[in-house]
Amino acid sequence: MTVTEPAAPGNAPVVKVTDAWKLHKLGDEIVRALVNASLEVRSGEFVCLMGPSGSGKSTLLNIIGGLDRPTKGTVQIAGRDTSNITESQFAALRHDKIGYIFQSYNLIPFLSAVENVELPLMFEPYDRKALRQRAIDLLNLVGLGHRLHHQPAKMSGGEQQRTAIARSLISDPALILADEPTANLDHRTGEVVVQTLRDLCSKLGVTVVASTHDPSVAEQASRVVRMKDGQIQPD
Amino acid sequence: MLKYGLAYGLLSSRRRAREMLLPAITIATGAFLVVIVFAMSAGIKKQAAGLGHADEIGHAVVLIAVTVLLVGVIEAAVATTRTIAHRTRELGVLGATGVSSRPVLLALLVEPLVTAFFGALGGAALAAVIAGVLAAAGAAQSGVSASGTAAGALIAVLVSVVAAVVTSAVPTWRAVNRPPIKSLNAS
Repeated sequence: MTVTEPAAPGNAPVVKVTDAWKLHKLGDEIVRALVNASLEVRSGEFVCLMGPSGSGKSTLLNIIGGLDRPTKGTVQIAGRDTSNITESQFAALRHDKIGYIFQSYNLIPFLSAVENVELPLMFEPYDRKALRQRAIDLLNLVGLGHRLHHQPAKMSGGEQQRTAIARSLISDPALILADEPTANLDHRTGEVVVQTLRDLCSKLGVTVVASTHDPSVAEQASRVVRMKDGQIQPD
Repeated sequence: MLKYGLAYGLLSSRRRAREMLLPAITIATGAFLVVIVFAMSAGIKKQAAGLGHADEIGHAVVLIAVTVLLVGVIEAAVATTRTIAHRTRELGVLGATGVSSRPVLLALLVEPLVTAFFGALGGAALAAVIAGVLAAAGAAQSGVSASGTAAGALIAVLVSVVAAVVTSAVPTWRAVNRPPIKSLNAS
């Protein structure tokens, strides 16, 4: 296994959300977390969902990744309609097509950096040497070749987030979803992380959808989708 | 895929040995009591027969043994449930990365099993040594039976392992099948 060469940006949308709603019941009240959202993201794009807290960007991201299901509306990932697939089928789709990056990194504390990167494929019959080599290649790609055997507690926030980026790439996904990837980082470290995400799009042809409320992150995106009160704002 | 779940479970058990110490001590305490009761039960029964109350005292000894076993089971259950709760975020990450649930279930059951086995073995060994020392020093008037000690140790280890697996299977199953977003948010 080697790190994939750049893919030519295609025209087919990697993500297609159509008229998605997400309603939560809170006591007697119905909370509209997402209202009639439609979004298309094409291969190789770096799209930023931007808005204040509670604007619905994390909800939309979770719906795209199948961590949450829309109350109404449809989501297509790489041309596959996810409306009627089961949780385990969505897990398999996530495994093959989607990489996740979390605000709080969510690395496993007792695993080293290289083991954390291997994690999504650790439960599968991959050749262990090839898997290790791929994890090392990915850590080198994000500039952490010197931190292979460090546990998360011995790494800085930026290093942990870059390890999480490498982990999100291990299955060679078409789509990376990043939920507030720089929120826990200082400005300079955040810039490095955003630059890494940008490089993924330009060098590897990976599609990135990131949520943020930081305008400096949005500046780096190829497209900004603004959200407010659960709704996507017109351009 | 299950063998990879097992490998991950053993890896996490090795790396999380420090976190497993408290549950193991809890289980060891239960096992210790079980072995002590079983080691001395034969001598107590013999003394009771000499006093003419063999049945009543025999029943009392069985009752004490069952109670101690139940305490051991509850201690094993509490310890393993706590372990599962501590690993909620890890489950969320595994779910979010699309790892299938069966090997994860197995991986998570390895730790309670290892904890229960080594905890009970440690507690039983300590009880056997203490019972032996007490017998040698003549401090245990009712006497210490070697067969009772062995039976107690076997029962303590078996009950602890079975209790740990059975009591952690349901919360682990629930946790593994919970939507990953809930596991991530819960922690």
